[in-house]
Amino acid sequence: MNSMSLRKVSGLILLAPLWVCAQSLADFEKRVTEFTLKNGMHFLVMERHESPTVAFHAHVNAGAANDPANASSTAHMFEHMIGKGTASLGSKNFVLEQKALAAVEAAYDRLEEERRKERRADQAQIERLEAALKKAIAEADQYVEQNAFTREIEKNGGVGFNASTGLDTTNYFYSLPSNRTELWFALQSEWFRQPVFREFYKERDVVREERRMRVESSAQGRLLEALLTTAFTAHPYRNFIGWASDIENLRAKGAAEFHKTYYVPANVTISIVGDVSPAQIKLWAEKYFGPIPAGPLPPRLNTIEPAQNGEKRVMVETEAQPFLAIAYHRPEGTHPDDPAIAVLDGILSGGRTGKLNRELVEEKKLALGADTGATFPSGKYPHLFIAFMVPNAGKTVEDLEKAWDELIERMKKEPVDEAAVKRVKTKLRAGFIAGLDSNSGLAQQMAEAHVALGSWKKVFTELEELEKVTAADVKRVLNQYLTKKNRTVAYSVQVKREGK
Amino acid sequence: MRTVLILLAAAALAAAQPAYKQLQFPKLGAVKIPEIETFTLPNGMKVYLLENHNLPLINGIALVRTGTLLEPAEKTGVHVIAAGTMRTGGTKAKTGDQLDEQLEAMAAGVESSIDETLASVSFNCLKENTDAVLGVFYDVLTAPEFRQEKIDLLKMQYRSAIARRYDDAGQVNNAEFSDTVYGKDTPFGRSIEYETLDRIQRADLVAFHQRYYFPKNVRLAIQGDFDKAAMRARLEQIFANWTVEQAPVPEFPKVTHAAKPGIYVGDKKDVNQTSFSIGHLGGLLSDKDYPALEVLSDILGGSFDSRLFRKVRTEMGLAYSVGAGWGAGYLNPGLFRISGSTKAESTVLTFETIQREVNRIRTELVTDQELNDAKEKVVNSFVFNFDRPAKTLSRLFRYEYYGYPKDFLFTYQKALAAVTKQDVLRVAKQYIQPEKFVYVAITNTDQLKTPLTDLKLPVTQLELKVKEPKRAAAAADAASLARGKALLARMQQAMGGAEKLAAIRDIVMTNKAELGPMKVNQKVQWLMPDKVRQEQELPFGKVIAAFDGKSGFLVAPGAPGPQPMPAPVLKQVSDELFAMLVTLVQSDRMAGRTVNGVGENRVEISDGNGKAARLEMDPATGLPAKLIVEAMGPQGKIDVERQFSDWREVGGVKFAHKTVILQGGKPAGTTLSETIQANTGVTLEEIMKK
Repeated sequence: MNSMSLRKVSGLILLAPLWVCAQSLADFEKRVTEFTLKNGMHFLVMERHESPTVAFHAHVNAGAANDPANASSTAHMFEHMIGKGTASLGSKNFVLEQKALAAVEAAYDRLEEERRKERRADQAQIERLEAALKKAIAEADQYVEQNAFTREIEKNGGVGFNASTGLDTTNYFYSLPSNRTELWFALQSEWFRQPVFREFYKERDVVREERRMRVESSAQGRLLEALLTTAFTAHPYRNFIGWASDIENLRAKGAAEFHKTYYVPANVTISIVGDVSPAQIKLWAEKYFGPIPAGPLPPRLNTIEPAQNGEKRVMVETEAQPFLAIAYHRPEGTHPDDPAIAVLDGILSGGRTGKLNRELVEEKKLALGADTGATFPSGKYPHLFIAFMVPNAGKTVEDLEKAWDELIERMKKEPVDEAAVKRVKTKLRAGFIAGLDSNSGLAQQMAEAHVALGSWKKVFTELEELEKVTAADVKRVLNQYLTKKNRTVAYSVQVKREGK
Repeated sequence: MRTVLILLAAAALAAAQPAYKQLQFPKLGAVKIPEIETFTLPNGMKVYLLENHNLPLINGIALVRTGTLLEPAEKTGVHVIAAGTMRTGGTKAKTGDQLDEQLEAMAAGVESSIDETLASVSFNCLKENTDAVLGVFYDVLTAPEFRQEKIDLLKMQYRSAIARRYDDAGQVNNAEFSDTVYGKDTPFGRSIEYETLDRIQRADLVAFHQRYYFPKNVRLAIQGDFDKAAMRARLEQIFANWTVEQAPVPEFPKVTHAAKPGIYVGDKKDVNQTSFSIGHLGGLLSDKDYPALEVLSDILGGSFDSRLFRKVRTEMGLAYSVGAGWGAGYLNPGLFRISGSTKAESTVLTFETIQREVNRIRTELVTDQELNDAKEKVVNSFVFNFDRPAKTLSRLFRYEYYGYPKDFLFTYQKALAAVTKQDVLRVAKQYIQPEKFVYVAITNTDQLKTPLTDLKLPVTQLELKVKEPKRAAAAADAASLARGKALLARMQQAMGGAEKLAAIRDIVMTNKAELGPMKVNQKVQWLMPDKVRQEQELPFGKVIAAFDGKSGFLVAPGAPGPQPMPAPVLKQVSDELFAMLVTLVQSDRMAGRTVNGVGENRVEISDGNGKAARLEMDPATGLPAKLIVEAMGPQGKIDVERQFSDWREVGGVKFAHKTVILQGGKPAGTTLSETIQANTGVTLEEIMKK
């Protein structure tokens, strides 16, 4: 969920200059096969025969921003449920297990029904129903063959098995020795068609622990959550990792509803990169994913963040040394200003020559570290340009904010350094080339570009847009977006708390 | 009929056989093992080259045999600062900042780093910039300039990092476990502290580079889009003039510490989760039982389907992360470690669950399925060791650096395939020793539901507090020393002149002091330079303290007679003597003392033994206005400031008759001298009279 660094990397890869993309696109087009199944599921296949391995990336165009009200972290639960398996993998007796799981939901419904009476609820009855629910869960648990799904993948030589949930997308990925390609089809297709929400309520506790680790026990996590909830009044990008009380009440039947809405084939893109034959892949795709029934595309998000009317500030108390985050509203990733904002990001914090490193870290010695991110927390909808700064011992967040303001206001007036613009573009070109080295990285890039930008080719052609960015463009976006009125300042204050 | 039923049942079973189980996999395509060329340059440097034309990129790394394990204890951090500033401090030709501009304009990088047992200088670039980048790489490796400003910057950044050391529970858990098991006083467990940083000077960094960076102590590997013969010729030319020699580098130290088993608790009030580690020392990669130990730790806690993951996360929902690893190192034992995090209230439950799983794997054979899965995993994923040519090079390179056989990976895979259930049980019993476990728990102790003492193990508190920074002594140079000398001379002059000050043999004074609410009558007799007797009338009786320059005694009401001065009081008296104004202003005549001008009207005086004071002059009169020293308070170090006024002459020398004392910037007391006499003829016998 902490997608700042990831996003930044993927942002960079969209930005290499012309000659590389022209050369590479022609070369890559020869090796990429693209097709859509009748049910709408889209496949991107790229042949690379350097080693007998293959990387798979399944991309679902839904994430935490689509969490239902009252049930934040629903999208995230899917990331955890992939390990729980399917009807054919993970059960000792699926027929009985299915009945037992239905009984769990029925018992939970009865408990909720009583709880909904609020003040008039019968406490003794609630306790009986809670006990009944616990019993139903134990009953269902006896059919579970734990972690069978992941075990099967690992023992077949699968590496890098994982899943991630962002605000806009959920991703499932791993690599296999290429002779086992069909295994991926068999396992992944069954899970997409019919995930089994077994051990859902234990996994809910695990997600609750994840929140404790990433937010409640982390000074940085608490600060970023405060930043997002302050910067976004209405838009679901304010959802950092889900609320504790929502997580504690998530329901498997809610997850099933979410699956029905968002995991329709037309909302899924699969990319496969490695030692494979595209013809064979197409056959398997039709055999395994073809039978999944088509469904309507999920509803679009209607909520638009209203314009901000003045600077917002939020303070978080912590025992830890302080941090400072300053975030400015900016438009969505497909906006024409996106390339100029990406270059601005590079000028501010790219490498040792970045302005923040030169001025705040080395010259003024105020910051132990300072970084910016052009896309936070995610890029599909209007989001934030963020600066994150760590004061040196003896320096304060006020010192840093002042220095940041001085730098930004000065940059707004002076011409932007042409050499810096050129340097940023060159670096992005090299980063792009280096990124082509890994099958799994490329699989992810291609799926993301297909969904977010409309075609995998945009991985290459978006670079043309970047090449057009001028120093004047950078200055314009700087003046347009990095204004006080448009920002949220979040900082932490060190407070010593005593135990009881 | 019966046969038919059986057949039907078999057909039903076959139909029930899930798709994934019916799959037949073809034979895996051949793995390409790339060819690596190795040779030694005339200067003795070993080189490894690998052509890889997939992308127009080249990167290389030089491994240098040294490490932080070779740092002297009192300068812990010196190799880290040296490795860092090798790059940022620039070369003879260019400053670090100029290198940044040059390299980043080519989207290239040259970096220098160090860990416990190796240092490296690396580079990466687009093929078209190879010559320019190799030039920078050569300069950084062979002739770093260590410019002072970058040394100061990096030291300052480490000071900030030290201040943040205890902020993140996960990091604290990792560091405390490692340091506790290896021993906090050993090269493996020491931390960089403000004091060790302060001792690091540019000369140390230059010496580090001279000692370790010489051709015979360096291995260079380069891979990417080049022609081997051309690259070899290029390297021979570039490195032709680098021929320095040094004695062979000493062996790395060995791990000798035996950690005290038990629970080590660090308390953090701003978390609601326990971040924990449980374990002890691991072993070496070369141990014959290493493959069996890998199987063991994989089954116990190495995957998404390990016993710990299944029990603690999947079954009990107690943790987001939990796992175990048998730590094997190339040269020294790694750490066998079970780690994870759980909500504070379930800490004891989680520990008990882990203990049971450890016990189980030490007493029962693992199942056939567990053993087979663990082995198949390694066998089937083996191909990923070769999915990029660079992996083969970097593996070979490390094996050779650490003196391992070239085919170590293959030998390991073969040995792993031969591991039996009995082997796993044997190594579990032999190597996993619960009675030696160190448990580190970083947690909010207010939220523990069950006390950790329920585990019936000794509990030690970890102090998660940064050792307070000692004030960094201001840098001294010829100009500042001259200014210090001049300022001190002016103060001596204002007080009556150096001659008069030097002529004082003794001083006797009677004071009325107000220390907070307490009013105290004092008599102080002082015999130059370091003998003193103080008599104080306190509300509860008379207290006498006497000191002859080496030892002393205390007489207090209720005590049976004079008691020898305990160490803390001796230290206090010695600090007080150092801060006596009449002697302090004569510091320019005392051996070992440094008087440094650190401001327009301020000098810093230090005795080279840890004592230091700042003395501020009143520019109008030339008399001392303020004296600031550091003292130990209940909350750590604080500044004690004395402000002098009411100057009156006694025997040709001016004495302040009023002293206001501030502690940590807050008023702490006032001393009014009623009488001050000089050269009274007081003797040592009188001072030490019991």
